[in-house]
Formats: sequence, C-alpha cells, structure tokens
Amino acid sequence: MALLVAENLSVGYQTQNGYLRAVEGVSFSLDAGKSLGFVGESGCGKTTLGMAVMRLMPSNGLIREGRILFDGEDLLKKTDEEMRQIRWQEIAMIFQAAMNALNPVHRVIDQITEAIHTHTPSHNKDEAYEQVRALFKFVGLPEDRMRDYPHQYSGGMKQRAIIAMALACKPKLIIADEPTTALDVIVQDQILEETKSLQREFGVSIIYISHDISVVADICHDIGVMYAGQLVEYGAREEVFDNPVHPYTKALLSSYPTLTGEKSKLMPIPGEAPNLINPPFGCRFSDRCTEARVSCRSNPPMWLEITPTHKVLCHQCRKHCGE
Amino acid sequence: MDHGEETILELDRIVKKYRTKAFLFGAHGQEVIALNEISIKITRGEIFGLVGESGSGKTTAGRLIVRLEQPGEGKIYLDGHDITSLKGKASKAYSRRVQMIFQDPYQSLNPQLSIFDTISEPLIIHKIGNTKAKEDVVWQAMKSVGLSPPHDFAHRYPHQLSGGQRQRVAIARAMVLNPEFVVADEPTSMLDASMSAQIFNILLEMRKKLNVSFLFITHSLAAARYLCDRIAVIYRGNVVEMGPGDEVIENPKHPYTQALIDALPKFRYSGDKKRYQTLIRAERRVPEHAGCPFFSRCKRADPIKCSREKPPLMRLGDSHSVACFFAEPGIKTSSGDNA
Amino acid sequence: MTTVTTDTELSKRFHWISRLLEGWSIYKKSFLGKIGLTLLAVFALMALCSSIPPLIDPMYQPMAGVDPEIFTATGPSTRHWLGTDFMGRDILSQLLTGARIAFMVGVSAAFMSVFLGTTIGMIAGYTGKFMDTFLMRLADMIMVMPALLVLLMLAALFGQLSIWFIVFFIALFRWPGVSRVIRAQTLSLKHRPFIEAARVAGASNLRIIFRHIMPNVLPLSFLYMTFQVTSAIIIEAALAFLGFGDPGTVSWGMMLQWVWKTGHMFKAPYWLLPPGICISLITLSFYMLGRAMDEVLDPRLRKEVETD
Repeated sequence: MALLVAENLSVGYQTQNGYLRAVEGVSFSLDAGKSLGFVGESGCGKTTLGMAVMRLMPSNGLIREGRILFDGEDLLKKTDEEMRQIRWQEIAMIFQAAMNALNPVHRVIDQITEAIHTHTPSHNKDEAYEQVRALFKFVGLPEDRMRDYPHQYSGGMKQRAIIAMALACKPKLIIADEPTTALDVIVQDQILEETKSLQREFGVSIIYISHDISVVADICHDIGVMYAGQLVEYGAREEVFDNPVHPYTKALLSSYPTLTGEKSKLMPIPGEAPNLINPPFGCRFSDRCTEARVSCRSNPPMWLEITPTHKVLCHQCRKHCGE
Repeated sequence: MDHGEETILELDRIVKKYRTKAFLFGAHGQEVIALNEISIKITRGEIFGLVGESGSGKTTAGRLIVRLEQPGEGKIYLDGHDITSLKGKASKAYSRRVQMIFQDPYQSLNPQLSIFDTISEPLIIHKIGNTKAKEDVVWQAMKSVGLSPPHDFAHRYPHQLSGGQRQRVAIARAMVLNPEFVVADEPTSMLDASMSAQIFNILLEMRKKLNVSFLFITHSLAAARYLCDRIAVIYRGNVVEMGPGDEVIENPKHPYTQALIDALPKFRYSGDKKRYQTLIRAERRVPEHAGCPFFSRCKRADPIKCSREKPPLMRLGDSHSVACFFAEPGIKTSSGDNA
Repeated sequence: MTTVTTDTELSKRFHWISRLLEGWSIYKKSFLGKIGLTLLAVFALMALCSSIPPLIDPMYQPMAGVDPEIFTATGPSTRHWLGTDFMGRDILSQLLTGARIAFMVGVSAAFMSVFLGTTIGMIAGYTGKFMDTFLMRLADMIMVMPALLVLLMLAALFGQLSIWFIVFFIALFRWPGVSRVIRAQTLSLKHRPFIEAARVAGASNLRIIFRHIMPNVLPLSFLYMTFQVTSAIIIEAALAFLGFGDPGTVSWGMMLQWVWKTGHMFKAPYWLLPPGICISLITLSFYMLGRAMDEVLDPRLRKEVETD
C-alpha cells in the first residue's frame, strides 16, 4: 500500500529574474516501511521536492501543479492548520545541517520534550521524559548525556539527537535532506546502520535526499535520479545502480572514484546545468549528453519503461527496453 | 628508500599545539595537540595524499607547509633547505615556490576582485613581467584549467561563477607563479561529483605537464586512491599508516585505516559483513597523551601495552609503514627489534 | 545557477557601472529611500539656487545688504516669499544659502571622518597587537570627550571659529565611531580564506589592507558616511545656534541664533520655522538614504518577490 504518492508535481520560485522552475513533473510512489532516495547534484531540485511535500515552501515559492497523496489524501488541499497537525506527527523532516538548528541555550532533552509536547499535548511531562529516554536508547545516545547542552555533543551525537527528535511523535514518514553530509565517514556509517535498524523497528518510511550516490545506494530500496528539476531515472536500487540507463545516471556513476575495481579515468560531465528560469524545451540534459541526437534538443523526452519497476526519461534509451 | 628520487618537501618531527583560551581567571586553557611528531617525505613530481577525518590535523599540516602558521617543534625542508623560520624576503621568495589551493571556493576568492585581477595578483605581488607579459600568463593559466575562452571569464566576478568554476580560478591562481609544490586542501569537498572529477583531472594534467608536486589533503580514501601515488593516513595528529596508494587501500594494516575502509558505503546494499571490523562500539576511557592514539576505539588493542606505549611508524616490506604493534606477526621496528 | 551576463564592452571594463545600476534597481524598491532621495534633491536644488541672485535688485545682497524699503521683520509677501528678518534681509535667500552650507559642512566633515576612521580601523584590525591597542585606546579617549564642549572651549579661546575649522574638528571627533565598526569588519575578514590566499601568495600587510580588505570594507564606510552627515549638520547647527559659528556664513543654525537673540522667537514664525524644519528634514533624508543603502549593500536584507 503506497503511503506517499506524488503525481506530476511542479514547484518553482518567483525570483527577481523570473520564475524559476525548480521541480517539473515529478511523480513517484513510496510504500510504508520502505525508503526512497533522491540523488542529484546541487540545483537539481531535490531539496525543493522535500520541502514541497512538507509544504514548507518560502514565501516566494509556489507549488504550481500536481498532487501529493499521503495516506490517500491530497496534502495540497489541506489547510495550514491541518498541515500543522500532520507535520511532525505524521511526516517529520530532517533538514540539511539540522544539527546546527539545535538551540544552544536549551538542554537537548528540553528541546525534544518540547517538540513532543507541542504535537501531543495530552502527554504530560513525565510521559514525555520516558519517551525521550526510550528514543535515546534507540538512536544510541547515552542516557547520562540527556541533560547536556548541544555544544557538548559531537557532530554525530547532535545528528542522532535530531533523528530522535524526528522520531519523537512516531511519524509514518521521515524526509531526510543530506543528514550525514557534514559527518565523518565512520560516524556516517554508524548512523546509516542505525537508520536502517530504526526503520525495521518502527516501520517508518524514509525519503532520503543526497548528492552522494553511494550513501543512497546503501540505504534505499528505490532510487530517483534528478537532473535540472526533473526525475530522469527511477527504479529499484539494484536496477538503477547495476543497470543505469539514462546517460546522466551513467555519467554520474562514472564520475565517482571507487575504492575497488579498475582505476579507470574519471569522466567529468562537461558543461553546466541549464538555467531553470528558461530551461530548454527539449531534453534538459541534451547539451551535455554523449548520446544526444538532434531530436533530443527539440522534443521533450518521454518516459520509457525498462522493466515494470524501472523507468527512464529519455528518447535514446528505447534500445534498453525490455531488458 | 627514495630510490634516488629527490625529496622536494620534508616534514621532520613536526609538533603543533593549540591552547584554547583560558576560561576564567587563573584557569589555563586546554592544550590540544594538532600534530604529534609528524614526519613525511614527498618526492618531486609526486602526488602525496594525506587522508584523515575532521580534527585529524591534516589541514594544519598543509597550513604549516605554506607558512600560514608556525610549528611548535620540528623542521620543514624544501629541497633540502630549512624553511621553518624564514622571514622577510626569503619568506616572500618561498611563496613563489610553494602555493595552496583552498577548500572553499565560495570564500577563497576576493568577491570584489575580477577573475583577471585575482589570477594576476600573485604576479603583481612578485613584480613579474610587464602588463602584456602578465596578461599572457593569466590567459595561459585560465586556458589550462579549462576557463576558455579566457576573455569570457576575465572580467566576471566570483559570484557570477559556479563552485566548480571558482575552484578552477583558485587553481589558476595557485599555478600562475609556476610553483614547485602545491598544497591542495580538500579542493573538492564542497563540489558535486562531476565537478570534482574535473578538478582531479586538472591536477593530474598539471603534474604531468609541469612536474609539480602535490600534497593532496582529503577525507576520501577513494579520491586519494584515484589521484595519489602515495598515501599517509593521519589520525588525531599522528601518521598511522603510510605507503603506495594501492597498497594501503588493498592491504591496510592499521586498524584505523581498516575501519575507514569498512565504513565507506559500497554500491551494493551492505548485507555483507564488514571486512575488517576493527572498531569497538563504546569507547574506552583513556588518559590523555599516553599510548596509542587509537587505543580508545581499537578492538585489537592490548590493554596494557597499547595504553602505555605509542607505537612508532614501523616498516613493513618495501615502502609500507604502520604505527601498530600488532599490524603483522613478527613485525620489526626500524631499529630491527621485534615489537 | 543563473549567471548575469555583462555583454557590453563598456560594462565589462567598468563593472562598477553595472553594479551601480543593479544597486539602483534595488534602491528604487525602498519606500524610505525614495522619499529620502526626493527630499535631498529638493535641498540640493535649494543649494544650487543660492548662487542665483534674486531678481529683486541686481545690487541686492541678502546677507549684508538690506532691502532698503524694509526695516523690521515682516511676514511673507510677494516680494519676499518667506518674509524678512529683523534687518530686512530676505529669509528665503538665507534658507537657500543655509542649504549650501549644510551640504558643504555635512559632506566634507563626513567624508573626512570616514576617511580617517576607515584607514585607522583597517590598520588597527589587521595589524593587531600593539598598534591595535594603541589606536583603539586613542579612539576611546576621543569618544569620551564631549565634542561640543571642547569646541565651545576652543571658540572661547580663539574667538569665532571659521567654518572649515569647524568641519575639521567635527571630523576629528567623529572618526572613532567609524573606526570601531570598520575594525570589527576587518577582524572578521582577516581570517577569511581569500585573505589567507593573498598571504600565501606573498602579499605584504599593506597590500592586503588596501587591495583586499579595503574594497570589502568600503560599502560599510559609505553607509556610515550617511550617518556622519547627519551628525555633522547637527553639530554645526548647534554651534551656530549657540553663537559660535562662523559669522561670515549664514547657516540654518545661524538663522535660529538670530531669531532667538533678537527676541523674535514667538513673534515671527515665518522666520523661526523654516530653518528648524530644514535641519530636521535634511537629517531625516540622509538617514533614510542610509537605510535604503543598507538593503543595497547587504544582499541578505533584500526581500524576494512574494507570491501567494
């Protein structure tokens, strides 16, 4: 049963220079208890997508079209008050560099209990305290550090505290935007492991947004690759990584140095991402694509199905269909 | 063993300490040891990788080499000459031979200077060439980092460029004096993967064409593997393993290096067990400044020996060194005794 | 990322032109800024007009000369739009000249104090240690001195003070405020990577201060100039009002002095009000200019366009 379904979502920002089409025509679906990763480079729209699902757009942001169905109900039709209820209790978000969002003058435990109390006022202080204690245990934070201030925590501990806060109201969905980018490799690995086991324990669905393909591959069941505001490839993790079809996905994968295997020359992707105020009419990747034809520039690409679960937004990938 | 190749840069038992500010009257600040007797030799034309996590001291080592800071103890040698305490003209002459590429492309360019001004600045400082000659050099530098055609970029300002372009300007600026040695401090950690790949390839080009030597500071073992001839792994101010890039990554001997390799996300869902598993879950409490720096997290550690004695860098085989008593059975210290 | 293409040759060479235009388009959006600029334009016009002699009589000099037909303060009439003062001199002409003086004093004093303050602030901030301590203690000492009082004492010692003397001393008393702010800004810039890059490239301290720090600090200096102008104008007006201004010039403060001294304060509102209102308005308009410039200079304060 799909927990979250997005249909043809388009989101943008009104800027001084014009309307910036940050996300265009994105559709995806996420089942309960699964994780979906959005991968892409800076400016591809993945953060905007996450904010749009939570309806946390800034004042110059606009969700132009589409539907976001959460548990069958369209989030875009909800009132502000209804969204406020949904946020944190049903959908929680971990922002980029969230660990810097901890208020330095309050103890960590107070911040988490406040979050709990705001959303479930029925819980009294002691109940909230117990909840936090259980959460700390789950995320691997020592109990005797509950009453510390944020600056006494290391980066990894702060991130775990943020995860605890996100889990506090037992949401059905967590949207995590680059949660481990600022952390060292070893700590990142520990947190990823813990996230996976938390997912098993709580049955929470996760949308994981990152520019780091290897992290997303590690933790997500399904992957969506984004480029210039569009979803260009979408499928199960094994399909996208073992059998990338879209030229951008292939280029992205070959621009990462690896620890094992052949030391082949890294192929950077020439050129720059397109201007999203006036994006090209045809395929947005066509001017950087090694497999592009003339028709790619003039005709917008269509979705092609490689397998029932693996699809790609490209004309040239027709030859891969049915593999 | 240098195999007859020149050593261009040497760090000899470098120590760098910081004292955090004293909190209240009379109380002394805490002393932090950023580098604890580091010794590294880099040969001419080599790309040497210094790999470590945050707080390891890798950036400090880079800053000491370009003389943004001075070491507390120890010496630095450039081409055999002691440059540790240069002043005045000699210090300025040094800056012609040793340069740096900074980590943050959004902060390392003066927002008020055009690209042309930024790249020509070192030439102006060292009074190299007349106006026309300077222009030629700048043009050439811009072309070699891929900012082509140069006149398109010359009059732009940093905020009009992307992160990858800015970093290329930073590289052009570092190269314009034709230095012999360049410290590249995490030049790609703030860039996307495709931009990073471009930068890596530019560095390799520079080394090939100009025979420049690099100290490549990074937290990514994979990047180090791609780019570097030799790698040193640094943990809390100590070099714990050093050797040829491929060797250190395929046959890591120090438990920290092994933990780093374990921790890297692989491209497959890691139902696979970790290959080395050298970390303990909860850290041991240790007295400061005593014993092996990795003792508090090491599964393999001997509670007595490792908490009291700091293992020196010991040679294993040809050019692979490890600072661990238990890296290999029968390991010999450099003096020939058994550990 | 959207890149601003500067495609004309002119704007490539003179990048500051395109930045000026960009700044102007942002400035235009500020309500306060538009009012302030309008007011300033009015005053500037007044100042310019002061050099045009009135068409009453070619020999007529509003300062020394008197209207041969009038001996007392008179109200507004067709001949003297704002009336005359107690000696029969045209008030409007005096007002116009006062505008010119206000601009002169305001802008010169502000420029000098900002020039001094910026240079000292940068040097103190960047070199640090002894020089920094010395300069900042000097600044502290000057800051605690009551400017007006000292000027009064000097006036008492030397008799009347010339207008340029006043300008100079205002600058001397006002640079410490600027230098503190510039020093703070310098301190924050000092450790930025692009400054370190200049050091690694071998630049001397002097070069770093004037080539790298100064351009980044100048916007703040310009902003402070607008505030300094207001303070200079008020000091000059206060001095003139108290009778210690330059007797050869007619400033608004001087006009107030005459109103008060000749006992016309409640008898001739057409004489009292114009200079007072002008002082307030010109101060206000410079302040508004400063506020609007704030948005131009600090991109973070700019508002994005709102959608619903």
